[in-house]
Amino acid sequence: MMLSRTADHLYWMSRYLERAENLARLLDVSFSLSLLPQSQGARAEMRAPLVITETLDRFSARYPKITAEALLQFMALDRDNPASILSCIRHARENAHAVRGKITVEMWENINATWLEAKNFEANGIANVGDFFDWVKARSHVFRGIAYGTILRGDAYSFIRLGTFIERADNTARLLDVKASLIAQANKENPQDAQDYYAWSSLLRALSAYEAYVEMYREGVEMRSVTELLVLSPRLPRSLCACLDAICKIVAQIEGDNGRLVQREAHLLLNDLRFTEVDEILEHGLHEYLSECLVEINALGNTIDEAYLRVA
Amino acid sequence: MHQIDLPAQTGFDEMLDRDHSIRPHYKPFFDWLNAQTPAMLGQRRKEAELLFHRVGITFSVHGDESGNERLIPFDTIPRIIPAEEWQLLEAGLKQRVAALNAFLHDIYHHQHILKAGKIPAEQVLVNAQYRSAMCGLDLPHNLYAHIAGIDIIRHGDGNYYVLEDNLRVPSGVSYMLENRKMMMRLFPELFEKHAVAPVEHYPTLLLSTLRQSSYADNPTVVVMTPGHYNSAYFEHAFLAQQMGVELVEGRDLFVKDLKVYMRTTAGPKQVDVIYRRLDDLFIDPLVFQADSSLGVPGLIAAYRAGNVVLANAIGTGVADDKSIYPYVPDMIRFYLDEEPLLLNVPTWQCRNPSELSHVLANLDELVVKEVHGAGGYGMLIGPKASKAEIEHFRDLLKANPANYIAQPTLSLSTCPTFVEEGIAPRHIDLRPFVLSGNTVRIVPGGLARVALQKGSLVVNSSQGGGTKDAWILEA
Amino acid sequence: MHLEIHHETIYRYDTPVSHSVQLLRLSPRRDPDQTTVHWQLEMPGTTDLTIDAYGNEQHVLTLDQPVTEIRIVAQGVVETRPPIPQRDVIPALVFRQATSLTTADDAIKAFAHNYQRLIEKHGRHGLMDLMADLLDHMPYTPGQTDASTPAQESFAQRLGVCQDHAHVFIAVCRYLGIPARYVSGYLYTENDHHVASHAWVEALTDGAWYAFDVSNACIPDERYVRLAIGLDYLDACPVRGLRRGGGAETMVSHTRVRSILHFQQHQQQQQQQ
Repeated sequence: MMLSRTADHLYWMSRYLERAENLARLLDVSFSLSLLPQSQGARAEMRAPLVITETLDRFSARYPKITAEALLQFMALDRDNPASILSCIRHARENAHAVRGKITVEMWENINATWLEAKNFEANGIANVGDFFDWVKARSHVFRGIAYGTILRGDAYSFIRLGTFIERADNTARLLDVKASLIAQANKENPQDAQDYYAWSSLLRALSAYEAYVEMYREGVEMRSVTELLVLSPRLPRSLCACLDAICKIVAQIEGDNGRLVQREAHLLLNDLRFTEVDEILEHGLHEYLSECLVEINALGNTIDEAYLRVA
Repeated sequence: MHQIDLPAQTGFDEMLDRDHSIRPHYKPFFDWLNAQTPAMLGQRRKEAELLFHRVGITFSVHGDESGNERLIPFDTIPRIIPAEEWQLLEAGLKQRVAALNAFLHDIYHHQHILKAGKIPAEQVLVNAQYRSAMCGLDLPHNLYAHIAGIDIIRHGDGNYYVLEDNLRVPSGVSYMLENRKMMMRLFPELFEKHAVAPVEHYPTLLLSTLRQSSYADNPTVVVMTPGHYNSAYFEHAFLAQQMGVELVEGRDLFVKDLKVYMRTTAGPKQVDVIYRRLDDLFIDPLVFQADSSLGVPGLIAAYRAGNVVLANAIGTGVADDKSIYPYVPDMIRFYLDEEPLLLNVPTWQCRNPSELSHVLANLDELVVKEVHGAGGYGMLIGPKASKAEIEHFRDLLKANPANYIAQPTLSLSTCPTFVEEGIAPRHIDLRPFVLSGNTVRIVPGGLARVALQKGSLVVNSSQGGGTKDAWILEA
Repeated sequence: MHLEIHHETIYRYDTPVSHSVQLLRLSPRRDPDQTTVHWQLEMPGTTDLTIDAYGNEQHVLTLDQPVTEIRIVAQGVVETRPPIPQRDVIPALVFRQATSLTTADDAIKAFAHNYQRLIEKHGRHGLMDLMADLLDHMPYTPGQTDASTPAQESFAQRLGVCQDHAHVFIAVCRYLGIPARYVSGYLYTENDHHVASHAWVEALTDGAWYAFDVSNACIPDERYVRLAIGLDYLDACPVRGLRRGGGAETMVSHTRVRSILHFQQHQQQQQQQ
């Protein structure tokens, strides 16, 4: 049992950090793809992060066109963009600060240091884009590792983990959805152009799933298998199914009777993912399927908020 | 040998006697100090600063954005108090707080002391700190100030005086605890040489005091903070964590069926005792300041229904008001039928025309304080003030005499302190914390504050004061 | 006199209010010169009855389910008798504490000085002069002030409604060292257009608490029913609440006070029906 406000801070602390990490992953792909000389879809690629974070309008209001520099400026270190990596890190740190007494000293020091280093990037600029994205990912990994290695197992830990997996499920679904539609679009425009392989494998790399794919499929990278892996595989840590499985396990451990609706919704979603075949998804339409998933994940987030986190 | 600047002849120094010999209770410390190299001591001071930063013992989180927070300077030379002096202080503090609690109960019930003419009724009842919401309300054990911080100074005459009673939300106890921890970590050998009375059990005593304040079986206690922008937030979080209770904000609590609940992940949980660290006026927007978003609507109704205990109670400010301070010795005589053990500083009440004219004639020698002021603000120290400042206060006094009191300028005792040039005497005070539950308990010592500016008499942390560890030697 | 009172207040909100707490001072005080024959409160949610420090009956209404409308009805019959001076519930001097709504600024102080001698000499009658002159200074003018208007503002604007009159009168009294308290309640008038929900003042003079109705420049009598007393409007108003959510609020309030001439007969008729 803990204060709803405390749980809320813990949950959003890890959600924002996970969001920063996913943003770095996403931008990393967009940048590397847009740099390919033959890429016709470079502009579309660079639009993707704006579409996914729903900040296209805000961006367009400030920048005349989408260039790599503008995108980096806006998505990485722009304080005025609430969806930027810097903003996410700041929110994560503020949430941590509010519950300093409920996390371990190591966790606090780590997330505070991340924020201070992020401000250094803000002051000095990003020398190497790739290094910056790696830094974001590494800070997120380290924080998760410290949490795993130091904090008492209990509700605090549960809400930290819950935030991570809800955010991750949401991000995986969005990323796959936007990428798939970009690739479909490119294929329609240039049927003979064989960009598929690069596009799909960059998505896999963004989700740290390339090695897993190669090991499980040992064949050319194509949509059906990628979808199966990222949506339905219980073994891939960033797949929708794995995230929902984790959520169900976490929720079962939270003290008290407030979580009945959360458990029901999470299990319904998990069961669907467990017993659906990839061909059914493709038949239904990947975009439609993922849109429905996103609605349900969002609804699950609201139910979690109502059940545990809401402070009047 | 370290170079130690000698104290002024007129004052009282805690370590050095008038003939500059070392007072006996400082002897072992002095010998130890002389055996240390300045380099080693400097090293230790740096270490302390680093550790305080790491643990986050900070005093203000304003401008939190930067990720940096301010430290209250910590001095590594302790204030040492011999056992027999502490025994007197302890007895005097218990007596004083008992009388103050009796006074608060009385003025919110029958007003015997007012009817007996010991204190002008007007000064109590028309006081802005007197809360009508408390009238006729019976509190468990008739306790109002469960936690009191009494500011004590030693004058040039060598006597201890009470300078101020803090009965609202006295702060600073976390520094007392952290300072001790730091000293034990930096200089463990000193604690082998000295029998220093422990203070570490304060959180345990505080929790038991808070639990005793409620008639509920196994009461749920919380610490209530205005939030992390408050300058004392660190202490709120620290005490909650040390006691193992929740640190709540107003929005975590709600009132239903005249009971107070906190919102938790497992549903509403009833709260029996609130150790509140915000002022009366913010606590319930339906009774006090209507625009306060820090409080809990309906809290006072629940309080009056007897379903929750507030520590401290509402309306304790009327007893620590500077205009009431002069009457505390009379309270002790009236309620306890005892002579006060601790001295009060002679005080002129500017509301009385004869006293006002005396004050106006001697402004350059007196300290003038606002009746409701705190933190060393709104105050004139005559001997240190410029002509313009004195004239400014003269106007203020004439315009609103009832708002001021005046006292002789006391020469707060000094204690050797590390300063840039070496070790020099600096003025100090002491704030012991008095806990009133089934019995009155005080951990030996308190927060020792030190004015780091040469000659300064203002020890408040908001105005450049620092802190020291205070040692009570066991008999 | 038997007065039949019907007081209905409806709050409507643009969007649902998720949580609200209201303090309701909607039950007539139990004072020696007024007796509640029967009284009934209708409201949503759970309520608890408490007595505040001033001896007012106070219901705490908590709503934790979303609502877009809160309807509160207070109704019943109160028997009033010629007023007798009230005694202290809490120490009278407390009613000399200035609140933010009743602080005397320089203009009010200057006004007050004109009456100092008069009141010192004639007590209650001096205050009656003050009352009459105050109404001349700030004629009854609805719609220009609201519940949060402090005394100094309405005094400077030279207008106001009953609560402004009460606040200024209180500010003057307290400045002159006379304890004065705010009273909220009902007023029966034969003229139906008049506002039946009313506020006036009680001041401690000539050794007892006497009432003054500045807005009507008269001394309250049997037509007045006391709901609550306090330091000012905020302390004594019929409904003081706080809500989360809800957007904009509109409030409609109707009060009807009728006199029942032959109460016994009336009651028998009611029973026969």
